[in-house]
Amino acid sequence: MLETRAFEPELIQRLDGLILGTKRARTIRAGQRNIGRVHGGGIEVENFRQYAEGDDLRFLDWNAFARLDHLAIRTFRADRQVELTVMVDASASMAIPERDDKLGLALALGAGLAYIAMGENDPVRLVAFAHRRGGQTLESTPFHRRRESYIGFRPFVTAIRCGGETRLAAAVGELLLERRQPGILIVISDFLVSPGDYEDALGQLLAARHEVKVIHVMGDREAAGTYPPPGAYRARDCESGEMREVMIGPREAETCRQRVELHADGLRDFCNPRGIAYARAFGASQLDAIIAQEFPRLGVIT
Amino acid sequence: MGFLNPGNLIYGLGLVLLVLIYLRSRSRPTIDVSSLMLFEAASAPVAKSRMLRVDLLFWLEALALGALTLALAGLYVRRAAPVGQHRSRALVFDLGAGMGSLDGRGTRLDAAKTQALEIVDEAPLGDDFSVIGYAIETETTRAHSANKSEVRRAIAALAPDAVAVRPAALRAALIDARGAATIDLFADRPPPSGLTDEVRPDTRVNFHQVGGPADNLAIVALDPGIPHASEGRCVLRNFSMRPQQCELMIEAGGKEVFHSPLILEPRAQMIVPFGPLAAGGLVHARILTPDALAADNDHYALAPSIAQARALVMSPESEVRDDLARVVLAVNPNFLVTAVDPALFVRSKAAAQQYDLAVLHDCDARGVRAAAKLFIFPEPRLDRAGPAPLLLVTGTAALAEFQARTDAAPLIAPVLLGSARLVELPGWMDPLARGASAGGHDSFPLAATGRNASGEVGVITFDIRNHLLLDPDRMDALVLTIDTLRDLLVPADLKVVAAGSFVPVSAFGRATLVTPEGSRTVLSPDQWGRVHFRPSQAGRYFVIAGTRSIEVVANYYDAAESDLAAVPAPPPAQAAPRATDASAYGEVRVAPATMLLVVLALLFILAESALIVRQASRWRVRHV
Repeated sequence: MLETRAFEPELIQRLDGLILGTKRARTIRAGQRNIGRVHGGGIEVENFRQYAEGDDLRFLDWNAFARLDHLAIRTFRADRQVELTVMVDASASMAIPERDDKLGLALALGAGLAYIAMGENDPVRLVAFAHRRGGQTLESTPFHRRRESYIGFRPFVTAIRCGGETRLAAAVGELLLERRQPGILIVISDFLVSPGDYEDALGQLLAARHEVKVIHVMGDREAAGTYPPPGAYRARDCESGEMREVMIGPREAETCRQRVELHADGLRDFCNPRGIAYARAFGASQLDAIIAQEFPRLGVIT
Repeated sequence: MGFLNPGNLIYGLGLVLLVLIYLRSRSRPTIDVSSLMLFEAASAPVAKSRMLRVDLLFWLEALALGALTLALAGLYVRRAAPVGQHRSRALVFDLGAGMGSLDGRGTRLDAAKTQALEIVDEAPLGDDFSVIGYAIETETTRAHSANKSEVRRAIAALAPDAVAVRPAALRAALIDARGAATIDLFADRPPPSGLTDEVRPDTRVNFHQVGGPADNLAIVALDPGIPHASEGRCVLRNFSMRPQQCELMIEAGGKEVFHSPLILEPRAQMIVPFGPLAAGGLVHARILTPDALAADNDHYALAPSIAQARALVMSPESEVRDDLARVVLAVNPNFLVTAVDPALFVRSKAAAQQYDLAVLHDCDARGVRAAAKLFIFPEPRLDRAGPAPLLLVTGTAALAEFQARTDAAPLIAPVLLGSARLVELPGWMDPLARGASAGGHDSFPLAATGRNASGEVGVITFDIRNHLLLDPDRMDALVLTIDTLRDLLVPADLKVVAAGSFVPVSAFGRATLVTPEGSRTVLSPDQWGRVHFRPSQAGRYFVIAGTRSIEVVANYYDAAESDLAAVPAPPPAQAAPRATDASAYGEVRVAPATMLLVVLALLFILAESALIVRQASRWRVRHV
């Protein structure tokens, strides 16, 4: 249910002044993003140069030739866009614990970041991934560039249901098959996979020259280890179906909380040396604080 | 050990339900987790997981419910009463005719006495006994005495009666035994099912069955026939499972009229014809061959007199006169019957005659001189100025129903009669049958007989017009009329009755009763000069009033009581306990374990609660 907050005017108003942080096209003006001086096709004239044989005569400045009798060619600033892809984990683990609404939190964050990115008219899309029925499932929206079309994400966001396994590396591999130009890629997941899996996935993204940001989502109770109520249980992994006899109590809850911390630290330690922005988003109740404080602190937004 | 209310064990089904619910609820729940990696360090339960998990909590609950179920079912144990505590016991004896049957060395009652005396001898000092006998009625011969000598004497004085046992008498005997902790019932056949539990549910009843199957022959009935006219018939019955040979002798007036050996088929009945008799009087049939029960080997009957007698039949209806004359001649063909219209009687020659019997239908008895008078549908008193009639007619029922005879069970279906007079019977008359208005409930007499100073008087209150007595569908009315006539015609000094019935004798003063054993009892008359007694033995009784002696002969026969071969086994629940049970430990008492079971159930629940609280505190939660 939390995902609907991403479309509420109150939150959108607060997102209006935020800019997605990126290192790939660092702006010269503080607080504003600018694209690089790259020659290429465009409509904005950048400079003139001496005509050389083979130049496209369509760019010859005929007025200057008439006045100066000098052949000059107009060069243009290339139109550069940074594609933003927000990958949201839609595996079964995102639905558990149900009261934590991890998927809602992930979608709200993903949609919010998309809205922020659309402030620069960059193409933005949302991708939900999960391994279902024996194959990877990627559900993607079309690229939206203008904030006026932000509402177009809503049907996609509200229709996503959890199911299947995470398999992060496989999802990234399938995404990279599109062979799009490098851009910004934000992965939002609980990362409840083996370190090898998320290391493989993030490594692939880096190799494809994407700028990667990782948002680690966990539920309140899940992170605190306070679910389920104390007692003896047969715990079943919601993705793999594996069963295990466990005894839940205060001591076990503390152990579980420590395990979450350890797992998050491992992920952060992998990301930081590789220039991957890592941000924790633990607890759906912390949505506003995460966007307003945690993301700027970690450089996800500026 | 047993159960007071075994039916309540049905509540044990709740235990099954509880087990299913409990096991299901206590089975280890399965939860979905986002990833098992978070629980890698969580400890596994010590016990192996099962779909249906049984633990201490379950057993405590099951035990608590089981204890409550047993408490509801009334679990009890039998244990010896504490030494030194005085106990009360009732010794109840069947005194029916069957208990007088010979069985081995003595009668069945003797065997019962022996068992009872053993109980008395082995009882600790201080225990009190009451001795109660029952047959037709209940008699407490010794009530709550701790004196063993008196109790022994009371037991020794018991004697069987020649009557059949009535269940009502047994019920009354058990009620009389109230206050006793234990009732010892001595009988030759088990009491009706459920009677002991119904009457004394809170008292232990030890049933002691005495005697076994025995061979018995009985005289079922004796019809003397009509002297010089028709044969008499004696009906014999063999209650044995084997053919039986017997010697039957029939005497009339002291003379032997039949004497022959007979062979009866197993459990068969034989009709032995004899006569016709040469004279009226008392007829005595005897089975000379000894068998188990002697009381039913003698039977008496009264043959009508052969002397010429005169009978007067008066009725306004000629058809009724014809019907009554036929009935009178059927009862005794030696009657010379004079039938006359009451309107013509005073002026006729018949009025000058003395009659032995006058049958008066719908008319009064003025001017009639007869030793016995039978009023049929008596006329209401029309002339207030005249002498008071013998019978006071208070009204008329338009339609009457014949419902019951006083000496037999009610009719299966009431016989619809015509109109009937409502007669206020004088105290010296005994009703023979009763009826009621059709659709009504108030009972009134239909036939009665009695004797006053003027002679025998009988009354039949219903009308016999329209050939009622010849109607085959209303044969009971004819039979009642014949019996009433016979009752009027018996000699004044001889009666043949059934043993156990109340016998009124018009003695007109104090009288002495001489029983067949020779004992004498003084009887006091009631306000109408009649003395009453109930012959409990078969045989000849004599009522001596001044110089007058009236002989009363009592017959005994009962198909159920005389059937000594078919004695059912006692029900298991009432099987007699071994004598050693009582002798070794004194009285064995039933001690319900209800309190103990309830306490156990509470303890189980408390233990379960403590366990739950302990688990809750360990998990630091306020609920489990």
